[in-house]
Amino acid sequence: MNPIQDLWQSIVRRDPLSTDKGKSELVFLNVWLHIHPAKVKRENLKLKHTWYLGFITFFLFLILVTTGVALMFYYRPNAPQAYQDVKDLQFVVFLGPFLRNMHRWAAHGMVISVFFHMCRVFYTGSYKRPRQFNWMIGVFLFLVTLGLSFTGYLLPWDQLAFWAITVGTNIGSYAPLVGKQLRELLLGGHSVGEAALLRFYVLHVAVLPGVMVLLTMVHFWRVRKDGGLSRPVWKLEPEKAEKLVTIGAPEAPAPLSVALASKDKTYGLMEVVTGKPIFETVTAEEEEDTTFSYPYAFFREAVALMATVTGVMAISLFWNAPLEELANPAKTPNPAKAPWYFLGLQELVSHSALLGGVVVPALAVLALLAVPYLDTNPSRRPADRKWANRAFTIFVVVNVVLIVVGTFFRGPGWALVAPWTHISGAE
Amino acid sequence: MPQFFFALSLIGLVLILAAVWQASTPTWKTYQRDFHQLEAQGEPNSLAKAAALATPPVIHQVLLTGLQRVDRCTTCHLGVDDPTMKNAAQPFRFHPNLAPHTPAKFGCTICHGGQGLATDKANAHGRVPFWQEPLLPKDYIRASCGRCHKEGEVPGVPELTEGRRLFETQGCRGCHKLNGVGGSIGPDLTEEGASRRFPEWLERHFLTPSAVSPSSPMPNFNFTKEQARALTYYMLSLTSEEMGTYYSSVRLIPSASYGRELFVEKNCIACHNIGGVGAKNGPDLLGVTKQHSTGWLDEQLVNPELVYPGSIMPAYDLATNARKAIVAYMASATPDDAQLILSQRAKPLTPQDAAIEAGKQNFSRFGCVGCHGLQLQGGVPNPNSQGGEVPSLLHASDDYTKEEVITIIRNGKVPPTENTAKPAPPLYMPSWKSVLSDEDINRIADYLWSLQKKKDGW
Repeated sequence: MNPIQDLWQSIVRRDPLSTDKGKSELVFLNVWLHIHPAKVKRENLKLKHTWYLGFITFFLFLILVTTGVALMFYYRPNAPQAYQDVKDLQFVVFLGPFLRNMHRWAAHGMVISVFFHMCRVFYTGSYKRPRQFNWMIGVFLFLVTLGLSFTGYLLPWDQLAFWAITVGTNIGSYAPLVGKQLRELLLGGHSVGEAALLRFYVLHVAVLPGVMVLLTMVHFWRVRKDGGLSRPVWKLEPEKAEKLVTIGAPEAPAPLSVALASKDKTYGLMEVVTGKPIFETVTAEEEEDTTFSYPYAFFREAVALMATVTGVMAISLFWNAPLEELANPAKTPNPAKAPWYFLGLQELVSHSALLGGVVVPALAVLALLAVPYLDTNPSRRPADRKWANRAFTIFVVVNVVLIVVGTFFRGPGWALVAPWTHISGAE
Repeated sequence: MPQFFFALSLIGLVLILAAVWQASTPTWKTYQRDFHQLEAQGEPNSLAKAAALATPPVIHQVLLTGLQRVDRCTTCHLGVDDPTMKNAAQPFRFHPNLAPHTPAKFGCTICHGGQGLATDKANAHGRVPFWQEPLLPKDYIRASCGRCHKEGEVPGVPELTEGRRLFETQGCRGCHKLNGVGGSIGPDLTEEGASRRFPEWLERHFLTPSAVSPSSPMPNFNFTKEQARALTYYMLSLTSEEMGTYYSSVRLIPSASYGRELFVEKNCIACHNIGGVGAKNGPDLLGVTKQHSTGWLDEQLVNPELVYPGSIMPAYDLATNARKAIVAYMASATPDDAQLILSQRAKPLTPQDAAIEAGKQNFSRFGCVGCHGLQLQGGVPNPNSQGGEVPSLLHASDDYTKEEVITIIRNGKVPPTENTAKPAPPLYMPSWKSVLSDEDINRIADYLWSLQKKKDGW
């Protein structure tokens, strides 16, 4: 055997991809791909089931890590050099504006795609048994995404950054007892300054990305361990749905224990342990509906990846990330606005600091976390869960309306203005 | 699926190439190529011609740590220091009369404004949103001299001296704070020149405040065009931006002639004498620079009471350069010069002159004249106050005792309104007790009363 062949085979230790064995080995012998099952359900690959929102979110995160590391080479987290570094990115670094634009737009995109992903999961009832805890992880991932976006917002050290963070952290300080202390801990002082810039930088480039990676690992792991993606709702026959969701419920006996002669197959316990499976099982009929991950799933994911990357690149070619004048604590813009995803909060705060700034958002997050445990209806079919879907729709609409009002309809002194009103003094 | 994947990959590749193309073809490269062609035209030697044409494109920048600026203007303005380019079209034209303010030491933006970091025209010239210092129009560039030359005369820019003089004598401080001293009716002007965005606006504002700012309570001072221009220059020079020692030290070159000007202006000879010529209330100043160190003299001028407790010499609020200039003058002062100064004084000396002079100083320094007038005649319109204007102080002793006047200065006074239904008068007497010491207030009262007496005498 020639050495080249030897080298190749020592790296790729699988059968040819033309064989079924090769296709499975490609997945489970590869550390990067083995998060996938070797075979996936055909209907789960359908675009209109997931819209690939989870993947898009993940790919946006990859774009953010890549561009973010590149940006770190040019950035010093102290004032006012930080601002000059961003200006240098804009004016002298090769591809600097493109990098910064990609980072900025991918960050906004990620906040949006996480939110849409959450909506998809809710409307398909995919947070239900056995996926309750993964929904909670997802809510935490959403909060970490907001945290990453918020901490990154300060780093350009311009007026937009300075005042958005001032307003944003002021909202947080309305929390009773601990609010002021939390704000001081976050800012390293009583107001946004150099200490805050350093803290936000460390949170943005080390702490929060670390948390994000860890939680994402758990999130992905759980997707596999909970039986892969949930089945599309349209595949659920009424009685089948009943049966599926009762599997693993403590009060319900497992319809079939895992044993060697079982008609069912599990992905987890490799058929050597008996007992109740805690995940969705696949029956033999359903086995017919599965297909190898290679190439079908992988190509689709690759298409999602390319669509995400090209989308962000196209936007970044034509729209520049904002950069205002150097942060000036003595010059408050009127109105001073938080980042757009917190403008719903700011709108609430403008009506009542305690209620809008603390009680409502805290209850909203708690309610989101508790969704899988409050919603005891086992069915995932939309017809059976009209009220849950209506409640969630109201939640989404209220959020969107508040953000739209805060973003476009609020002028100096937080007075109601038409979006096209020219605000003198504003650029 | 593969076809989608490959199509999208192709699009991605095209986008990357587009980004690279966008990044590698900035306009400054075109300008540099044009400039090198221009240079090559002027080269007789074919080798030098080729060398000029082969110059690689590169960003030129001047790092000005002392000014906390980085100016990249010379990336496109390649001919600023090349006299052969004096007839070239912009952006290559030679900048005449630069010395000693060479681009290597001063960059461009400290005088011209604009955004030094930028490398494209719109951003560099600063006429873009979110940049506070666009290029100054040609007529106003010289105002920037005052950013470093904060005191004394700036050669070639009489407007700055005149603007500063008008500011200090027209009572602007009555309403406006500058470096912490002044009233609070109008905006603080300490940073007025930090953003040099609207010179034309400022100038029109000085000519007719209500024309550009209809709700402004600022009275129309009927400035001439020249005065408005001078004040605009002075405003554009006001900034607390830190200039490095190299740049700020220009203020510290003591000039004896400026010191003499101050010596006359502050009426030092009302108390002091030089070699016996002048008043005998204060010490003889001849040879004083030999008896005391420069530092001692400087401190004496900052606060006489700290050096000599109980000293009757008033504190004059002199800037660093002014103090140095006075000390420099003292080193060169002669009795003959003192005689000359005495002979040019309008009125003869009286013993109380020193105290009254101090009161007069306070009266103009703290801006009383802004409303009450240079001749204390009052007359600045104040709608809906009784009489409709700020009262004259010439007859203060007819209506008030000295103690009552002192109380009014201390605590301020809201003018009685003519019609309660109309809005309150925009101008009012502020409370001065936090700004002025009791002694300062007494001196102002003395000064007012000194004028009353004179009037009685007529």
